[in-house]
Amino acid sequence: MALSDLRGELTRRQLPCGGWSALTSSAQPAVEPTCYSVLALGSQATDVGERAYRFLLRAQNPNGSWPVFLGDDHDGSWVTSLVAIVLRDVVPATPARLKGLRWLLSNAGKESDWFWKWKFRTTDRHVRFDPDKFGWPWIPDTVSWVVPTAFAILALNQLPCSCGGFELAHARVNRGVEMLMDRACPSGGWNAGNGVVYGAGLAPHPDDTAIALLALRDRPEDPLVQDAVHYLERAASVLTARWSLAWAILALAAHRRPIAPLRCALLALPDLFCIEDTSTLALACLALDHEHALANLGVTL
Amino acid sequence: MNLTRRDFLIGSAALAAGASVSTPFFLPRYHSDRRPKQSRVAVLHAEQYSQQLDQILGEALRLFPINVRGKTVVLKPNLVDYLPGNAINTHPMLVLAAAEAFRRLGAKSVVVAEGPGHQRDTQLVLSQSGYQESLRDEEIRFVDLNRDELIRTPLRASYTGMKQLWLPRTVLEADFLVSMPKIKTHHWSGVTLAMKNMFGIVPGARYGWPKNILHWKGIQESILDLCATVPIHFVIADGIVAVEGNGPLNGSPRPLGRIVLADDPIAADATCARLMGFEPERIVHIREGARFLGNSGPERIDEVGEIVDPPAEPFDVVPEFRFLHAL
Repeated sequence: MALSDLRGELTRRQLPCGGWSALTSSAQPAVEPTCYSVLALGSQATDVGERAYRFLLRAQNPNGSWPVFLGDDHDGSWVTSLVAIVLRDVVPATPARLKGLRWLLSNAGKESDWFWKWKFRTTDRHVRFDPDKFGWPWIPDTVSWVVPTAFAILALNQLPCSCGGFELAHARVNRGVEMLMDRACPSGGWNAGNGVVYGAGLAPHPDDTAIALLALRDRPEDPLVQDAVHYLERAASVLTARWSLAWAILALAAHRRPIAPLRCALLALPDLFCIEDTSTLALACLALDHEHALANLGVTL
Repeated sequence: MNLTRRDFLIGSAALAAGASVSTPFFLPRYHSDRRPKQSRVAVLHAEQYSQQLDQILGEALRLFPINVRGKTVVLKPNLVDYLPGNAINTHPMLVLAAAEAFRRLGAKSVVVAEGPGHQRDTQLVLSQSGYQESLRDEEIRFVDLNRDELIRTPLRASYTGMKQLWLPRTVLEADFLVSMPKIKTHHWSGVTLAMKNMFGIVPGARYGWPKNILHWKGIQESILDLCATVPIHFVIADGIVAVEGNGPLNGSPRPLGRIVLADDPIAADATCARLMGFEPERIVHIREGARFLGNSGPERIDEVGEIVDPPAEPFDVVPEFRFLHAL
């Protein structure tokens, strides 16, 4: 199986509207699989990319955020970060991207509010976390979680400067990084964002750990980051799930760990071509072309 | 008595304020009463996960007057994550046995569908918990409810105050939805059984992992709104090895040796709660659900199979839920 075959399959899955659906069984264009597909295809297919950009711009909510899928409510969601990353080099999309990033800055985990902060400090203490260290939620009016926070950090780190309404970006990114560190699992790595519940440490997940590690690429010396890298190396060596393995390849490459055996393992997995989940197919393409993928995600090697 | 215009206005304002405060306590928060006159529950004895489950389930389903001929059956197991050594998921052998049984009863198609609440990589959960190979070998389709096509669905109860949820097409279009929970304690809701299992139909791609909005809107309230909106037609609960203590993820395996079948999710959950040594009336979503979704009282449940005796030692729970233990 060659990367070009996988890209060909991904291209074939583009819907007439320019987006991609999450599953092959669905015709509902969704933003997350569209973003991964655009990143995976890159400059390989100009027409495909143009149609995808037009779809993304059409899907933007009036408040600047992006919905999870076309037809969704207009409140906004975490995929706003992903779109901002995808549109980084699309000059005509700059106003839309900046509007999205402003929405992102105005959005924060619910624990950032003084009342909920007080609640989590006093009456609701079964999940161990510091509510002063907040990041981004999946959707507004919920608390911060690891994956949306990591993607928001990646998106905001791509801003060329902290001017023009983005003066708070640096502080928010730092706060988000603190949140990631605070939510790490005791055994190393991250899961969705609950490290300890009722006094018991919960297990990390390979994909959540990998995405957090991409956002923390510039902190390789931090002991929590090193623990997470070690966990991910151990976990990835036996992974047979393509989504997690693909993310692990990207994160370990970003942290300059050997990935050749993992790439071979990914290519050797059966049925790579007929993965029903489009995001996973796109992620497999990205993992097999990791230098290009990391550059697009704003992760410098 | 002479009423001035000022008295009238003050009185009217007080009446309106009083009504606005008290109305929520008097008006039912469900749209219709769907309770059957009588519900049926079968408690089956099964000490281990084995090929014998095919026969056990096949025979047990004949105790119920269900007709799935030509229908689309969706089996909704509880697959929350994979943790080695923790029996936190519905066992795949029970799901396969159920699929086989419904196929033999003439179902047009049998689909297994779930949207794991904690782990975003559904394929990882499927492969590590033994589902992937089993489903492939038996040619049973799996639908990832976290990523399925979504339909805006008005809620048919108002416990959370949410007007609608985006829910997966596969579940909404099912002719016959079977909730297949793992019998577990839960540190936020006391228990997680057939009703709480419905959290898995709420799509992670739309609401995140975990499905945090349901926690903010109230877990018990969300369970009620979901079960009112998407009817569960049948329950097959996995209590062969159950979970006690700090569930749903970090509890301890508790061999119970039981499978619970029911044509009513409230009756199923009430029965499972009794098997765990809990008083069902003390579990909010069971108590409230018994007002409009099904029956919890033994007088309205036909018990077939084994007699439901509480265990000698009730299930361990986190301290906040020790009040569930039956006296």
